[in-house]
Amino acid sequence: MADLGLVAADLVVGLMLGCVFAVIAHGLNVIWGVTKVVNVAHGEFIMLGAYGAYYLNLYLGFNPLLSVPVDAAIGIGVGFLFYFGLLHRELRGKETITRESEMVTLVATFGLSLILSNVALAIFKGDAVGIRWAPETLALGPVGVPLGGLYVAISSVAIIAISDLFLSRTYLGNAIRAYSQDIGAAQLMGINPTRIAAIATAIGFGLTMAGGALLTVWLPVGITPLIGSTYAPISFVIVVLGGPGKMWGSLLGGLTLGILIDVLPAFGISTSIAVAVAFLILIPVLLFAREGILR
Amino acid sequence: MLQLDHIDAGYGPVQVLGSVSLAAQEGSITVIVGPNGAGKSTILKVITGLVRPTGGHVVFQERDITALPAHDRPALGIASCPEGRRLFPLLTAETNLRLGAYTPRGRNAADATMEYVYRLFPRLRERAGVKAGRLSGGEQQMVGIGRALMAKPSILILDEPSLGLAPKLVSEIFAKIQELRKGGLTVLMVEQNAYAALRIADFGYVMQNGQVVRSGPTKDLLDLEALRRDYFATG
Repeated sequence: MADLGLVAADLVVGLMLGCVFAVIAHGLNVIWGVTKVVNVAHGEFIMLGAYGAYYLNLYLGFNPLLSVPVDAAIGIGVGFLFYFGLLHRELRGKETITRESEMVTLVATFGLSLILSNVALAIFKGDAVGIRWAPETLALGPVGVPLGGLYVAISSVAIIAISDLFLSRTYLGNAIRAYSQDIGAAQLMGINPTRIAAIATAIGFGLTMAGGALLTVWLPVGITPLIGSTYAPISFVIVVLGGPGKMWGSLLGGLTLGILIDVLPAFGISTSIAVAVAFLILIPVLLFAREGILR
Repeated sequence: MLQLDHIDAGYGPVQVLGSVSLAAQEGSITVIVGPNGAGKSTILKVITGLVRPTGGHVVFQERDITALPAHDRPALGIASCPEGRRLFPLLTAETNLRLGAYTPRGRNAADATMEYVYRLFPRLRERAGVKAGRLSGGEQQMVGIGRALMAKPSILILDEPSLGLAPKLVSEIFAKIQELRKGGLTVLMVEQNAYAALRIADFGYVMQNGQVVRSGPTKDLLDLEALRRDYFATG
């Protein structure tokens, strides 16, 4: 039988980690939901976000929280480049995004993913690095809550809340949601489709790279050029679980995965099996709730 | 106010409109009637910019807007409720209305116009928080027209405002359109329900196979025998 104290501790860690997962998946979700582009290079931008935080720490002494706005700003810039460099040619002037366009952007982002991971291997080498940022641990009865993880979790929820407010309360945010539902009708409202697709891509990249910075708190010695291949699949599961285009779905999906991956090992199930279980959940979700678990 | 001058248009290799010319006069209701597939909705898409004509010119308030992108037209005062209404189904009725006021022209007066739309369609005030996809057909039509009004247009383009509505609701919507014209708005609409539409309009065009076959003040077009011939005759 599993030790209850241990389960509680894992539950707390799982919840906190799930919040970070949510931000990362949120980045993928915004791009997917709005432009219908499935960014296969998503993992590589998480990795770049993590390295961004690492170098900001190494040279400027920034802790991961301070790196978040810097990474987000870089991500926004990269997102605009990504949109106009890779997507614009394919999406420009289209009133509906066809399967054919989806395939084209899928292959293009897959190519980018290969390039980025190999260039990263060449530049950063294969050695794992990490940021040593260890605020105290808060004792909650038998459970020790690492404050670094807690601050990161709070920041993550705040980021999702802010993006939700932006999308639901501002003209620009509503224009993004309108575009995601009907590009032609959005144009009839006076909404410039190129501007919206570029901004949504930029926001998605900002979130992804900020998520990479937040993730470093859970990777004290584990940033490598290959971390993308761990966290990108998790992001995809979360988005499908929560429903593409549904913002709070990212949080719910993130928490679900965080808990599964951290709590199952407390019952003697190995971490890799726990990740597999998380992926297995997708099958019933896709069979019975194709729009995600949120109504 | 709005003129189409010898417009040719189509989708890919399929030509739908052949040299269509028509005009909408300021402060009047103009209606385009004709059988299914006559090209009525395509004309409206040329005006709103969703279909780019292959020949001819679109002139609005003395300005040639033929090549102007669709999203730049609402700012000039062209607003529409398109074929099938095309509301944003996952957004609430109120957010749909707000988006109608996206351009500065609409946004600066958004709160006042919203109040005006709610007075025009009191039902929408009660349904403001409901997602557009869950509204009834009549309510969706009201949101569609309301959303176009939110842009503070000088010309309102309506595609089949009576489609799918109960007869009582049809006369209600038509009464509202007349009310809008009395307020100084120019209206250009397409209708299947030719007889009812011609009764409220000032000027009409009858279309067949992508061409205007008859036009004139509506009192001249209300000859039922002639209308029937326009609808069913093949040549």
